Amino acid sequence: MAPAAAGYAPNLEKYLKSLKGQHLELTIENLVSLLKRGQISGAEDCAVATAHCLLQVVAKSKWQDVDTLIYNVSRTGNRLARALPHELVISNVARRVLGLIRDEAAETRNEPPSETPSEGQMTPSDAPTNATALSQQWPPSTGSNGPKPPPRPAMMRPGTTVGPGIPRTLSHLLSASPAMEGDGHLSPAGTSGTSTPLQRGGGTSSSQVHALKSEVIDGIEEIMDEISQVDDQIGALADIHIRPGDHILVHQPSRTVSRFILRAAVKRKFTVLIASQPPPRVKKGEEDPYASFRKKLSSAGVSVINITCGGVMAYMSLVNKVIMGASAVVAGGGVISDAGAAAIARAAKEYGIPIVVLAGIYKFSPSNPYRDDDVVQWANPMTYVSFAEGQLVSTNGCLVKTAVNEVISAQLIDTYVTNLGTHSRAHLSGLIADHYKPEDMDLHLWEMNDP
Amino acid sequence: MSHKGKNSAVSGKGKKPKPGGESKSEDVLQAVVLADSFQDRFRPFTLEKPRCLLPLANTPLIEYTFEFLAMNGVSEVYIYCGAHTDQVEDYVNRSRWSTASRSCPFSVLQFVRVSDARSVGDVLRDMDKRSLVGGDFLLVHGDLVSNMLLDGVLAAHRKRREESAANIMTLVLSSAGAHEHRTKTHGITPVFAVDSRNKRCLHYDEINPLQSEHYLSLDPAIPDELSTDFEVRADLIDAHVDICTPEVLALWSESFDYELPRRNFLHGVLKDWELNGKMIYADILEDGYAARASNLQMYDAISRDMLEGWTTPFVPQANVVPRQSYTYYDGAVVAENGSSVPTDADVSNSVIGNGSSIGSGSKVSGSFIGKHCKIGANVTLDNCFVWDDVTIEDGARISRSILADSAVVGKDCSIPTGSLVSFGSQISDGITLAEGAVISTLTADGQPVTKDTKLLGATTNAAPFVDPEDEEVDEEDPSRLQKSLIYSLANLNLSTSTISTFASDVESDSDDEGGFLAADATSSRSRLSSFASDDSGGRISFHNDAVHGLLDALRDETGDFDSAKLEFMGLRLATDASDTMMRKAIATAFARRAAELLTPEHGGLEPGKAAEKALRARKGATKFIDEVGVGGEEPEQVEFVLAVQRALLHAKGVETPRAGILLAALLQQLYSLDILEEEGILGWWNDERALLS
Repeated sequence: MAPAAAGYAPNLEKYLKSLKGQHLELTIENLVSLLKRGQISGAEDCAVATAHCLLQVVAKSKWQDVDTLIYNVSRTGNRLARALPHELVISNVARRVLGLIRDEAAETRNEPPSETPSEGQMTPSDAPTNATALSQQWPPSTGSNGPKPPPRPAMMRPGTTVGPGIPRTLSHLLSASPAMEGDGHLSPAGTSGTSTPLQRGGGTSSSQVHALKSEVIDGIEEIMDEISQVDDQIGALADIHIRPGDHILVHQPSRTVSRFILRAAVKRKFTVLIASQPPPRVKKGEEDPYASFRKKLSSAGVSVINITCGGVMAYMSLVNKVIMGASAVVAGGGVISDAGAAAIARAAKEYGIPIVVLAGIYKFSPSNPYRDDDVVQWANPMTYVSFAEGQLVSTNGCLVKTAVNEVISAQLIDTYVTNLGTHSRAHLSGLIADHYKPEDMDLHLWEMNDP
Repeated sequence: MSHKGKNSAVSGKGKKPKPGGESKSEDVLQAVVLADSFQDRFRPFTLEKPRCLLPLANTPLIEYTFEFLAMNGVSEVYIYCGAHTDQVEDYVNRSRWSTASRSCPFSVLQFVRVSDARSVGDVLRDMDKRSLVGGDFLLVHGDLVSNMLLDGVLAAHRKRREESAANIMTLVLSSAGAHEHRTKTHGITPVFAVDSRNKRCLHYDEINPLQSEHYLSLDPAIPDELSTDFEVRADLIDAHVDICTPEVLALWSESFDYELPRRNFLHGVLKDWELNGKMIYADILEDGYAARASNLQMYDAISRDMLEGWTTPFVPQANVVPRQSYTYYDGAVVAENGSSVPTDADVSNSVIGNGSSIGSGSKVSGSFIGKHCKIGANVTLDNCFVWDDVTIEDGARISRSILADSAVVGKDCSIPTGSLVSFGSQISDGITLAEGAVISTLTADGQPVTKDTKLLGATTNAAPFVDPEDEEVDEEDPSRLQKSLIYSLANLNLSTSTISTFASDVESDSDDEGGFLAADATSSRSRLSSFASDDSGGRISFHNDAVHGLLDALRDETGDFDSAKLEFMGLRLATDASDTMMRKAIATAFARRAAELLTPEHGGLEPGKAAEKALRARKGATKFIDEVGVGGEEPEQVEFVLAVQRALLHAKGVETPRAGILLAALLQQLYSLDILEEEGILGWWNDERALLS
């Protein structure tokens, strides 16, 4: 790692510390490596790291106009997303930042925003939406497009919204390219012409660039705040979902879920069933990851029942509600959660028990995976099988597979609780449309042709 | 998840602000990568490419080593390469690891060139001279594949080192279980004796199926003094990951003849614990993968481990190297974006690189296919390693073989298990190779071969590869077990009788010159390869080395004999030779010298003169014989005379009658010098052994 964080294995904390004064390319490359090596993992950590990294891109990369900035950010976002393709929050955050830049750019130009402002319950950094674009663009065209240039706003919003006051000038066109030369890895080739119609002409004087830069950085910091506050905001809704006397089943409670339950425990008396996977072969550190959660629950007067995943079905008739965390929610409403959750969800459905999924809005992805394999991560077989078992390891054709996460199909989920409130599946598309620009839906296709 | 917690705990303790000059060794982790193995187990491939650049699962081996170092937060890396230095430097400088590329996670990445290094020992001694490393450093090899997180081990090492400066080194090992395991090194099994409580490593040895003694001798001091509770483990995977302090390098410098880090250094340092007072520890990790592609069998094993995910996160689909785009599909097929696999090809458990195409009806299982390969229709590939740009024509059947870059296999060829086809070799249509064939376009010394059209067809440019060193490697050198892709004991002669006869031959001292040379060759090699296990090897080498040393001293008329004496005593201590052996060596040396003086090229002296010259020419020589050679009463004197007699009988170029006269003259001289007494000579005369010879 960078000198500042040397000595021991790098992690998120050290990564964030190392950012200051570091060359941008190293910042990006380090994060890519950390993601690939799994040294930064988990939706929240990935989201935080991505936001920090993109902030560095905005602050340090060389850009004189919005096009270049958008290109730089989307390119970096893409690199990060491809480093860990199954972690959808990375591209979510990248899309959020892109949307932010587009909005700020529109404001800086002092144009009347071409979109209708969004509704009140938005987080501070929320992007305004474009109703006309939505009707044409949503559901996203991700599924069938194949590699192609990024969607052209000009095609989607004919006439009316494209037409900023300043006409395209030759000097503006030229200004994009030389600005980039110093930064070899970010080349605007192939993009400046294409996305110009939207962002072109936001007079590129340095004061404006400066203003835009600080606006965007503020916006990204707001996204970071949002990510850090998600647990509290979701927890605030706990009273509505948990009633006295309820039996609540949680599966491997994440921090969000724990906070949610504990928040409810302040006011209500209920029972929590904690389902967990068999412990991994090698126990590291704390014996039981949920020990402190249990302790807090019992001190709050909530009774706790521990069950391993295999025993869940027997308890299902007791349960009134299943509460789950998520590492991501795909556009169709499917939830990506810890392995083992899908079986519980299915069992709950059989018994007609409602399933509530808790996820910050940054986990909602506008894309749908082509295949489940795209989002399922396979763990090291060493989690459950010792490598010392030579007979097993050495048998040709014997493959030990352990999934880290799995996809719960949308039909099994009843309610989604986000930091913005409670939603049903039908509302997800609106929620997603509120947060992502249609132009950025195809982030992952942006640069298939790049080396 | 949980290891993250551990990380932060450790970092909380160990982290310091920016490395200042004075505390540099404390907060910067350094690593030394040995990119040359000084072995030739990957021949013929390593003739053209260094081992660390050979692709494993389509990624050069050294990438995994660097990833491992980056993963553990190493910031300064020193690379030593031997063969093909230019290629390694070129590769690294163009990769993202180059410090010039701005994306390198290391703050220092430096190549160190050593011109005359012949072994790992030479490299480490050179490093000691340069004093590149200031504090703890990781010593790894350039063919390491590992996902171990060393934070815990490093912290433990640091703690031990703070307790005592004598704790100089920690070996990082992993367990492979009691059963057969593909990732254990075959042929040579490392054996560690480790204290169960404080993890101190007490003894190291290596055993192999070819050795004559099927046991291991432990120093009695281990149970007596060092430990009350220790384990002897032969089930460990030793990936040669060492955490060292600079004292380790100093110790290498002190022992100028150590070559191998394990067999020589570790064994030696542990054996001489009383002398050097150093302690080495062994941390056996239960989780985490570590193995070295130290030979073709390990290369095979690690490739499979990687495909099955044991090396996570270093698996092809993680695309650890930039610009890779592997995706994992059902059936454990990992293919890159630009590869093409038709629907009617049966592909399973395989890795397929960018731009490679497989023909229809082909069957590929358990294989690793590199970039831009063309595989025709109806080809069967079973557990193969196909590197980049290989062409395999229709209908070929290949199983468990390695095809190096740009190899061409003709139509309907059949390549059976264990074959190695080196870079650019072409095999014509319809050829069937023998099992374990090795095909190359270069000979062992890098010259183009004369093509073997009879074996490989008309269009070939290659010939079977013959390693001249193969013939030198003697029967019981275990390294030859590791030279092939497939480990097998089936074709070996494991009868121990020949080996033991050989050892007793030397002891009974029938070393005529021819046999002597052979013994010399083997003994010097056995020091390299099997000295740890074979005690008799040490004895042979003592005898030969001692006789040589003394002879040289005797021939040299001017110098001081005291130095020869000192050397002799040192040799004796080093090899732990007995009095009898010493006596024999001295007698042989003097008898040879006397016999030599009879021959015309040394002056053709009369026996009487020769005896006198041999004994009296050098000052101190007679005293030496008296004190060291005989040094006792009648029985010792008898033995000495016997040894002289035998040596004379076997001496070259001296016919028996003259040898008899010479013996008489020698005895007379020795008698007159008061070295031998009458009783001794009479005792010899009566001894029946004298009559036999």
